[in-house]
Amino acid sequence: MSTSPTSLQNNQVKDVDTLIEAFERLGYVTDRALATSVYLVIRLRKPFLIEGHAGLGKTEVAKVLAAMLGTRLIRLQCYEGLDVSSAVYEWNYQKQLLAIKIQEKTQQAVEEKEKHIFGKEFLLERPLLQSILEENASPVLLIDEIDRADEAFEAFLLELLSDFQISVPEMGTIKAKHIPYVILTSNRTRELSDALKRRCLYHWIDYPSVEKELKIVRARLPGVEEELSRQVVRFVQAARQLDLAKPPGVTETLDCALSVMSLGKHKLDIQTVEETLGCVTKSMEDTAKLRASGIERLLS
Amino acid sequence: MPHEEPDRSAASIIEFCQFARTQGLFVGIHQTIAAIEATQSIGDVDRQVFTFTLRTALTSSKEEWDLFDQLFEAFWDRSQRRPGPGSGEPKEGKISTRRPKAGPRTFGSLSSAEGEGKAVTGASAQQRIQKMDFSNIGHNDLAALEQVSLRLFRRMSLRLSRKRKIRNLADRVDVRRTIRRSIPRGGDPIVLAFQGRKPQKHRLVIFLDISGSMNPYSLFLVRFAFALQKYFKRVDSFLFSTDVVEITDVLRTRDLPDALRGLSQRAAGWAGGTKIGESLSDFNRQYGRKLLSTNTVFIILSDGWDTGEPEMLAAQLHRTRRRVQKLIWLNPLLGLKEYKPITRGMSAALPYVDVFAPAHNLESLLALERFL
Repeated sequence: MSTSPTSLQNNQVKDVDTLIEAFERLGYVTDRALATSVYLVIRLRKPFLIEGHAGLGKTEVAKVLAAMLGTRLIRLQCYEGLDVSSAVYEWNYQKQLLAIKIQEKTQQAVEEKEKHIFGKEFLLERPLLQSILEENASPVLLIDEIDRADEAFEAFLLELLSDFQISVPEMGTIKAKHIPYVILTSNRTRELSDALKRRCLYHWIDYPSVEKELKIVRARLPGVEEELSRQVVRFVQAARQLDLAKPPGVTETLDCALSVMSLGKHKLDIQTVEETLGCVTKSMEDTAKLRASGIERLLS
Repeated sequence: MPHEEPDRSAASIIEFCQFARTQGLFVGIHQTIAAIEATQSIGDVDRQVFTFTLRTALTSSKEEWDLFDQLFEAFWDRSQRRPGPGSGEPKEGKISTRRPKAGPRTFGSLSSAEGEGKAVTGASAQQRIQKMDFSNIGHNDLAALEQVSLRLFRRMSLRLSRKRKIRNLADRVDVRRTIRRSIPRGGDPIVLAFQGRKPQKHRLVIFLDISGSMNPYSLFLVRFAFALQKYFKRVDSFLFSTDVVEITDVLRTRDLPDALRGLSQRAAGWAGGTKIGESLSDFNRQYGRKLLSTNTVFIILSDGWDTGEPEMLAAQLHRTRRRVQKLIWLNPLLGLKEYKPITRGMSAALPYVDVFAPAHNLESLLALERFL
């Protein structure tokens, strides 16, 4: 599986600096603090909780980690009301009903029939079960926006993360062959339970410094002009100081730079900002606030 | 780097963990072990990466994350000079510990009524008390009101939880169980299994005005907030006048008099001026993202006498309204016949309020049941 030139075996990640380089080759600019945490995730196989505002590359960490290790990324997007049947497994009811109909005329005993329709071929594997069933190598399991799921699901997750096994009543307990690298992200829309937090390594992603953000823009948009990237980053960084309801993240910086480029402009002036304002602020109030504080001032 | 290299033995890490614990970091034995494992597996690294290693292993929230560097410096600089760093005198700038310490006992003005518990109140007396305006209650009736209110609030909470269950009876066929039950009948789903919806508890945020004009009502409304906690999944309570003070942890106790005592210490601005808009803005900034969601009911208890800008209030209410399921404004003055909500603040606020109701006596508070 790990034949692509960018992928490394986990024992090839010798130290933090190797990891920074590998991440950068994959287009993810990171700092030593985050690299240290990721390195420990690889070594200790502990779950990793990343918190921070939206659009700062939390989800990306998991994707890049999977790409670097050349393993599969399994993603579970959390939402309110997420339950076991969409997170872990579900039986394929239609298929089961058909199978029952087909078996009707046979002379099999009820127990046999039951065993048949609760076989593996009728099981729909959802992300958490998939991550445990992975045959070849440890996958990266991304549990995205865990703060959106409810507490009950969190409690269930706790059990999974300590034993890495899932029990399906009709089949028995399934234990992980390869313990997945688990990455949880949260936007802090609610406090997670202490028990879950304490099981994880923790990292808080903050807004990047000007230098780091410049580096990110250049890494992600190789065609960007030096002067433009500088202007965009400066503008977004200034906008972050404005106490907006949704401060722009790095995603917004990239969007803004990309749309300026697509408009065929080479400079960020007032008119261009007006045209691309939707990339930076995402609500009417924020847009008004930004205008009120003077776009010219933010640009200088 | 000017510092000496820190000692990285397991013993010194354990010492550091103990030190961090005294400084408000929530470090359990699991984290200590994780920290030791982490430093061992990271090998020989510079001081910076060593800091990062311990930080990622020992912290578990942004607050702890922000505090960590300071603790790290304090401990490793100190341990160069002083033996036995475990003593840990509290430092300035320390984050508040999670569990509020039970403060020295002072006498809350209203707490004496509990525990006597024998005064008999007949039905008519009870009704009279229910309709009595909080601001007119004399000292004699206070004890009775206390008892009645506690009892009624409790009954109200029971009724609420029951209502929810009946309403949410089976509404969807549970295919999985249905198939299971159909096996003995050759696959015909004769007996259907149903799936009821799980009772979805709402979250409640209470935003209570304690400025001077609310003085006669504040204490009763705190009680109300306390009673509401029983049947909501989560209740977060805040006091405000010119500042916002969180009192969730104080109210999260079984004993009401205790809570009231804690409150009198917490609330700095009891009976001061009112800046509703600014307080709400503070709240939105500090807690909004965390506490407001589509299953949150937001209750403001205030008389609407605002010394701040009405535009500010309107903007902040609008912002809050968009995030929550329902915004309820309880105004004690609404109980007065001649009162009309035409103060600048109140009229600016009304467009964003879903329910505008009185809160001047027990009856009006109990009537709220309809909206929750």
